[in-house]
Amino acid sequence: MVPYASFLYFGVLLYVVATTPVMQLFRRTWRVWLLVATLAMLVVQYWTAEKPWPNISVQTIWLVLGYAVFEWAVAMAFSLVRKRGKHRLVFYSAVALGLAPLVVVKFLPLFSQVDLIGFLGISYLTFRALDVIFCVQDKLITSLSVPQYFAFLLFFPTISSGPVDRYRRFTSDWNHNRTWKEFRTDLDGALHRVFMGFLYKFILAMLIKQYWLDPWAGSSQAWGIISYMYAYSFYLFFDFAGYSNFAVGVSYLLGIHPPDNFRMPFIARSIRDFWDRWHISLSYWFRDHVYMRFVFTALKGRWFKSTHVAGYLGFVLSMGLMGVWHGTQVHFVAYGLYHAGLLIGNDWLSRWNTQHHIWGQGRPWKLAQIFLTFNLVCFGFLIFSGRLF
Amino acid sequence: MGATGTSTADRTLNILAGIARTEEVRRNLDLDLFKFHLLDSLGMVQLMVALSEEFGIEVSPSEIGREDWATPRKIIAYMESRAGV
Repeated sequence: MVPYASFLYFGVLLYVVATTPVMQLFRRTWRVWLLVATLAMLVVQYWTAEKPWPNISVQTIWLVLGYAVFEWAVAMAFSLVRKRGKHRLVFYSAVALGLAPLVVVKFLPLFSQVDLIGFLGISYLTFRALDVIFCVQDKLITSLSVPQYFAFLLFFPTISSGPVDRYRRFTSDWNHNRTWKEFRTDLDGALHRVFMGFLYKFILAMLIKQYWLDPWAGSSQAWGIISYMYAYSFYLFFDFAGYSNFAVGVSYLLGIHPPDNFRMPFIARSIRDFWDRWHISLSYWFRDHVYMRFVFTALKGRWFKSTHVAGYLGFVLSMGLMGVWHGTQVHFVAYGLYHAGLLIGNDWLSRWNTQHHIWGQGRPWKLAQIFLTFNLVCFGFLIFSGRLF
Repeated sequence: MGATGTSTADRTLNILAGIARTEEVRRNLDLDLFKFHLLDSLGMVQLMVALSEEFGIEVSPSEIGREDWATPRKIIAYMESRAGV
């Protein structure tokens, strides 16, 4: 069952949600309750048969649990080796192993008939699993508790499409017994988000799809494609932001506070600003774990003469990976590289402008920036949609 | 006292002023470096590399969040706690 997509899912979810006040009464044992709820919801979500090979049928839930145990074993083994010392090769191997299931799922269909050994959410779980490995390498995590690890990795409200939470942030919630006052604040935040979710996903996104996106889907004229581009951009935003509101709202009820994923992305004043507003948890993950880590290593090792070259390669690397992570199709890769190009251009122009002062500071300039950024972003979504190639 | 005879705060501010390209960081220790675009991700990494080399300590990018290094005062406090001065 796809989370937050049908009313049946919301109906099942009510069983978990309705027990939150009871869990609050026994708050010293709420972690046990969370683990039980997680397992129950995983069974509901993943109780579907898959046929990875023609004659073999397997329940998806076993793939999910198998994946989780594998990632746990990798993290556990790595943390044991890490205690004895820091080895670059061991670290890279751990990252490669943690990444391996996703890589197999994404690339295997390109080479063989074997299909569908993945499950909905594997790409998001990979972010969580790798976050742990990075933090172990940096000694920010020194011990991995088994229940805590699995609660983090398999936390069900955000399993299918994020937001991408971090281990250290998650564990601060996990180790906290919330008070009734905090429970009421969480309830307030949850209700607000869930209703925003209904408005965005089931009203606005659906209306846009029915009356704007679908009518232009078959058009091959330039005007039709432009209209489709804006329709798709707004549809994507309301659908995904709506979903994210549900995911964060439900998490709040359970006492976990994943980061919000959107902050009015269409009023961004630059591409850089846009990535502080769109799919924030994903872009921050790439910023912290790919961009900063790569640039840090490059600067420390004096790989390039110019700091800016390191920064630009960091953009290409992180945005390129972001593109491939969406899928191996050409349009996803192009989408990543397009944004890398925009970030580089943005950086280059703003540095050029600090010397030449062409672009001003007043209100008309700000509006022009927003307009320009909005259109560049929408063109990016057109690439992302796969409509062009 | 560091090897050069100047304080940790001075050595930190020298490096910070160079990367943020402004002497304002010395005058206002509570300046919000990210809000005023004096530091971004690239600047922060430059700062991490420069400070780790200056003080001979190991820092890692995922260890320090933007809130931890939001102002000159916070960066100095961090360096003082790490450099053991």
